[in-house]
Amino acid sequence: MDIATISGQLLGTIPLGDIVPYITPFNLFMFAGALTFTLLIAISRTETQVEAGFGSLKDREVKVGIKEFRIRRFLAIICGLATAGAMITGDLFNFTLFVALIGIVNIGIVSAVKQIDVLDAAFQYGLIAMMASLPLFGGAALVLASTGTLSLFQLSQATFTPVMVTFASVLLILGVAGETGVAPFYATKAEMFRTPGSPFILIIHLSSLLVIVRTIEILLIINKPF
Amino acid sequence: MLVPDLVSPFVVSLYNPVIAVGILVGFIGLLGISFQKNDLSVLILTDIVGIAMLIVVAAVATDLAEALILPGLVVELAEILAISEILMSREMRKSGKKVELLPVPLSLDMEILKTAPNFIALALVAYGVFLTGFTGGAVAGVGILFYVLSKTYRGIPFGLWEGMSGASGIAWCLWIAGFLIFFVFPQIWLLGLFLSSCGLLVKVASKIGLVGVMGREEFKKE
Repeated sequence: MDIATISGQLLGTIPLGDIVPYITPFNLFMFAGALTFTLLIAISRTETQVEAGFGSLKDREVKVGIKEFRIRRFLAIICGLATAGAMITGDLFNFTLFVALIGIVNIGIVSAVKQIDVLDAAFQYGLIAMMASLPLFGGAALVLASTGTLSLFQLSQATFTPVMVTFASVLLILGVAGETGVAPFYATKAEMFRTPGSPFILIIHLSSLLVIVRTIEILLIINKPF
Repeated sequence: MLVPDLVSPFVVSLYNPVIAVGILVGFIGLLGISFQKNDLSVLILTDIVGIAMLIVVAAVATDLAEALILPGLVVELAEILAISEILMSREMRKSGKKVELLPVPLSLDMEILKTAPNFIALALVAYGVFLTGFTGGAVAGVGILFYVLSKTYRGIPFGLWEGMSGASGIAWCLWIAGFLIFFVFPQIWLLGLFLSSCGLLVKVASKIGLVGVMGREEFKKE
């Protein structure tokens, strides 16, 4: 579909060889939103969970140590930057790489926690993310093989959709679903949230939301449904 | 026509079978995962699915596909490292015992480390500089690694390798600058080529040399 129809007025392109990032209000808004949230995370402090003690009147505070806090904040910032990159990129393979980076960093954010349940969930999520790299990169490679380009700007100007591109789109949505842990793979990711250190955990959630929206835009661009 | 005429039709006809093979390999890996109940085996079998991804990407078989395989492989390795780290820390928490990632100090009791380190290291580094680029970086890095190993064996302290990581960062910037020149000013491509190839050489060489730094930190503990 035409870029102007789906993402609003085309504000301009940045010609860098065959990779042509295009700028639309939609992409700019998502990009700025991801960057703003990353900034908020960079300057925020971690929460302290208060758990009610069972069978007594005492509360138990769960704090995150400064060392764990630092590495988590760093990984959360990387995750936010990768999300922002996935919002603005004009290259299909770069998009898949950003999504894969988000998946890896998500594992890293929860890898230092002490709860065995959370580590178990992160392990399962990591396995799914790794299996999802087959449809994710495979889909992008199929698009390259059947259209000859990975640039979304050029793909939007194509006049018809080969059958292989439709197949590649199915693979791509499978890959993104596995890599960001949305339904039907959400169970492990919900388990991963059960750990202290809230603002950094939230970027896991935000990145997958934004990536899904951008994926839908990309799928509408490379397939011509209307 | 998408494929130029000088590509033989046989090569073009290989595309669909290769895609089928890639997806089949992925399915075999997934089948194995579904039968397997041991976590470590599941992790290893998952790597098969990742390799199937490389097959599908490689099936495109252009120079662009070659450029796509490298990030794919890096993502693959990063994921398997991250997951195995998770698995290890989970098992450590379960059992309460601590295990090191690399079981060094190694007992490297080889005669060659005493007799001929300087010459071999120098020859490898010189040959690597002559090659330049990624291959040269790997060769030169092996030379540096060999030097580190032999020095370690003789018990000489090495403060030199701190600067190595700095050089690695600067070389990375050179590499990026070279690539930017390719895109932004294509008319001075020769400068970009030299910047990126020399940057890549230093980058890869120092990366492999940095394994020596990791080794040193392990030795300090002893």
